[in-house]
Amino acid sequence: MKALARLSVLFVLFLLVGCATTGPKFTELSSHITNVAPNLGRIYFYRTSVLGAAIQPEVKINGEGVGKAVPNGFFYVDKVPGNYEIMTSTEVDRKLSLTLDGGQTRYVRLNISMGFFVGHVYPELVDLDVGTKEIQNCRYIGKDK
Amino acid sequence: MKNKTWIIPMFCLFLLLNACAFDIVRVKQIPVSLESSHNPKSSLELQEEATVRMESGYSRTLKAKTRWEYVGKISNGDVFKTKDQVLTVEASNIYEAYIVISSEKLVGFYLPIEKSFSPLSEPKVLNMMMIEREQ
Repeated sequence: MKALARLSVLFVLFLLVGCATTGPKFTELSSHITNVAPNLGRIYFYRTSVLGAAIQPEVKINGEGVGKAVPNGFFYVDKVPGNYEIMTSTEVDRKLSLTLDGGQTRYVRLNISMGFFVGHVYPELVDLDVGTKEIQNCRYIGKDK
Repeated sequence: MKNKTWIIPMFCLFLLLNACAFDIVRVKQIPVSLESSHNPKSSLELQEEATVRMESGYSRTLKAKTRWEYVGKISNGDVFKTKDQVLTVEASNIYEAYIVISSEKLVGFYLPIEKSFSPLSEPKVLNMMMIEREQ
């Protein structure tokens, strides 16, 4: 019974460590983030859920790694206007395709769903008002982290 | 002990089948060619919210008062896009989508990146207002 209690404490500790994303909050950083150039578009990636905190797959845009799906974390990339495929891989690949215009800002939320062995992280395009609201308490993790 | 040797291959097969099941939901897509319009003739404003259910089991809501700009034509109807809301078609993967209107009904979605048409099993009448472009 004692062993079970220790295991539970260890498990909770493991989860909390996973949640402890460092870096400035979006609210603290937003005034320092430069506006997107008119010839580029910006994609914000963020993850609000701490469920499955240990699962932090790489986020790829058109096959190129740009960051990680860190719980309570966010990062952004500026890209030339065009079509993009965003992919996260756990035990399966999950893809999102989107268009990006010059000067446009888009928000991609990194959600988690049930999997067989591990949870699946999947990218979802969300409305501007939803993205701007939900990203507020996320912490900047930088690109390629 | 010997009698139970079948358990391992059966377990492996079970795992394989489960792994396959994750990718089983796909969006029905028909390749189409979009005749783009650089001189949009009109746009639409949706007067009432409309919710449609897709074959994949997911539903999508087109919000009231959203404005949809004409972007071109495919064989299935006129294609309109909006900046007022995000519209995607979802199954195992998610695709950004535009609406396709024919005879004042939403007949499906145009997927601009995949260049394909995803039909609705039941076209839905939309309460919309045409907005003529000012010259």
